[in-house]
Amino acid sequence: MDVSQYLEIFLDETNEHLQNLNTQILSLEQDPENMDTINEIFRAAHSLKGMAGTMGYKRMQTLTHDMENVFSEVRNGNIKVNADMIDVLFQCLDALEEYNTNIRESSDEGTNDNGALIKRLNVIMSGDEGENADKAAPAPQANAPAASETSESAQMFRQIKLNENQQNVLKEADRQGKNVYGLTVKVQESCILKAARAFLVFKAIEETSEIIVSDPSSQDIEDEKFDLHFSLIIISEEKLDTVVNAAKSVSEIEDVIGGVLNMNDVNSAKEADEEEAAAEQPEPAPAETTPAQPVTEAAPPAEAAPAQPTPQDQTPAPAATPAPAAKKNTANKPVVNRTVRVDIEKLDTLMNLVSELIIAKNSLVSASTMSGNSSPAVNEQIEYLESVTTSLHESVMKVRMVPIESTVNKFPRMVRDLQKKLGKKMELYMSGEETELDRTVVDQIGDPLMHLLRNSADHGLESAEVRKERGKPEVGSIFLDAYQDGNNVVIEVRDDGNGIDTKAVKNKAIERGVITPEQGENMSEKEIIDLLFNAGFSTAKVVSDVSGRGVGLDVVKSMIESLSGEVEVKSKLGEGSTWTIRLPLTLAIIQALMVDIGNEKYAISLGSIQTIEDISPADVKLVQAKEVIQLRDLVIPLVRLCDILDVPSKKNPEDNLVVVIVKKGDKQAGLVVDELIGQQEIVIKSLGKYISKCKIISGATVLGDGEVALILDANTLI
Amino acid sequence: MEELKAVGATTQFIVIKLGEEQYGIDIKYIDNIVRMQHITRVPKVDAYLKGVINLRGEVIPVMSIRIKMGLEADVETKSSRIIILKLEQHGTIGVIVDEVKEVVTLENENIEKMAYDSKDEKASFLCGVGKCEGGLISLLDLNSVVLEGI
Repeated sequence: MDVSQYLEIFLDETNEHLQNLNTQILSLEQDPENMDTINEIFRAAHSLKGMAGTMGYKRMQTLTHDMENVFSEVRNGNIKVNADMIDVLFQCLDALEEYNTNIRESSDEGTNDNGALIKRLNVIMSGDEGENADKAAPAPQANAPAASETSESAQMFRQIKLNENQQNVLKEADRQGKNVYGLTVKVQESCILKAARAFLVFKAIEETSEIIVSDPSSQDIEDEKFDLHFSLIIISEEKLDTVVNAAKSVSEIEDVIGGVLNMNDVNSAKEADEEEAAAEQPEPAPAETTPAQPVTEAAPPAEAAPAQPTPQDQTPAPAATPAPAAKKNTANKPVVNRTVRVDIEKLDTLMNLVSELIIAKNSLVSASTMSGNSSPAVNEQIEYLESVTTSLHESVMKVRMVPIESTVNKFPRMVRDLQKKLGKKMELYMSGEETELDRTVVDQIGDPLMHLLRNSADHGLESAEVRKERGKPEVGSIFLDAYQDGNNVVIEVRDDGNGIDTKAVKNKAIERGVITPEQGENMSEKEIIDLLFNAGFSTAKVVSDVSGRGVGLDVVKSMIESLSGEVEVKSKLGEGSTWTIRLPLTLAIIQALMVDIGNEKYAISLGSIQTIEDISPADVKLVQAKEVIQLRDLVIPLVRLCDILDVPSKKNPEDNLVVVIVKKGDKQAGLVVDELIGQQEIVIKSLGKYISKCKIISGATVLGDGEVALILDANTLI
Repeated sequence: MEELKAVGATTQFIVIKLGEEQYGIDIKYIDNIVRMQHITRVPKVDAYLKGVINLRGEVIPVMSIRIKMGLEADVETKSSRIIILKLEQHGTIGVIVDEVKEVVTLENENIEKMAYDSKDEKASFLCGVGKCEGGLISLLDLNSVVLEGI
């Protein structure tokens, strides 16, 4: 057995705990007296410590241990929460995150001891608490009363049944003057990775001794098929205390009870054991989860009673009777199976297979219509197959969807830090954190969003004094709103700051040589704002830590475009600006409208289509030498796809035009096509690096007859 | 091409025809050879990129070596083939050839390296000339054929 198999789980859970701590400490800052928050923080810190200990990350463990001490003092009401302490705690979280990153990269926590932080934590403890500091340190770990409890019933190792072979080994060792010890190890109830703990105990003991037998068997322990304790019989040349302490040094081990076994004991233990077992048998057998041998089964009830009263850190009510405790264990088992952590790669494979299936289905559909002899029965089955594949696709999609919460949750903390760094007052309001997106998108949307938020904080919001002068509330507001809009998810970053000064942007652009002064004269406000997305463009007068390195908005744009999304800005000078990110819900399979243009087939994503209109050529008007149509009081520009795609149209110029009305945000355009083919579910394939120059084509798809059709990106045509 | 320097070693080439001239493509880059099929045109790209094809569910770009090398455009015949190349960093791409003739094994001493100072555009796509019974074979430097201008 090896701890590395737990590494993934460890990293995931550490992340979750860190995130949780971040959120909770933030809310603690707002409401320092809230006991629920403090308890939650304490629990998270405690689990973190335990997990780090299990995995053998000593530095991480030490740091969390000291943090936990501080929380424990806060919880006991010995220290009051203050701003300084919150700062230190946040720094600790950063340090922990650093450990975590190191571990993820190299499976080693690195060598940074963070001694300064630990010292500051201790100062916080001792500053307010003086003499209590030393006492507090060991408090959550060792359970003194349990250690003294060496009653016969706790020494479960005496009940281990030895076979003849093992007895001989022990006798031989005894003859050679070695010590034979029995150990019973009790794991804390809150322990998450019991098997890993046990493994560490085994490792610690094996350094000095030889393990002869364990109960349950080592295989069962490895599979976590044990309750909270396991017993060992070992041969050692060391003193009993040394061995016991070695085992105790593993964290989240509640207690280790050791005893010397002499050879007479071994034999008598066996007999006594049998007697005891016989005595226990007539009692109604308590509900036990592990189908162990009858001998060991008798053990828990005899032992549970004295062991329970040991002070537990976080069990709400120390169970009074053995019966409910046993019941609790059985009830807990199925909970584990409710969720499954799945490697994202496996989901990708699944998604690819679903794609293949849909292509195959499309081929089947076209084959059956081609052959012309399709019987109603075949059609019915094909329709059924169609609905199954669609549902299958939707289910797989849903599995891949996660709420953006996991990404945006770190932002309140970031804004808080920015507030300190920039000396501005600001508040972040978030909504729609539950909006779901494909996992890959959620993972990658964090950085662009962070850029935009920083941008708003640094460039957007004014300082408190300026805000006061302008009659705005002193505290600036930044809003992060996410919501679903048709086949897209929209994320908006909005601030009530100064907005974009188009004149300053224009001057800067001319100064930087991005545009010529003549060009600048003729640019619309929108075009000027779009300049911000140019590489190497930054209007901040001072290069600050936060932003202003000129890599920002262009990176944001390219990152979002790589996710097939787009970003847009609206701004009003003096009132603030809004950045709108629009992302497709799915990256792989979409519903599309197939159209004919000339001799070629193209697909247009159904998500961007509003309506399809039949327009007489007489209704096409010219505005500024551009073709437009009027539709329900809206003037919509026409885009003749045959011109843009360089295909000769098959249609007679006098015929009515087939116009597909597409929209992007609140803008619309009418795409003129030759013929409609119909709606189809298509699988998006990339065109690859060689053909990346073509912006209007967002990808390709394989049709039922094996031909390739290109997918038009309606967004670029508006 | 460092492997050409090793004395006594051999390299296998697939011999193709473009017009009357014979060219060789190092076999290690070749993933597949397929018959000519319908190529879906992609608008607004360089002329030598003919479009994309469907190769067992994958969409693969296809380019014309003829246009890239400045020869007259391809004429599709029965013997036209698309050779699917797999280049380490740049993925899969298909190239159109007039005919695929055979596989030859050339001893490296029979490969003459090209002088690089050649100003001829066509020559810059070659990495050497191989001698065998069938005459001379111009060996294509795929990296410059496929990647130049991208």
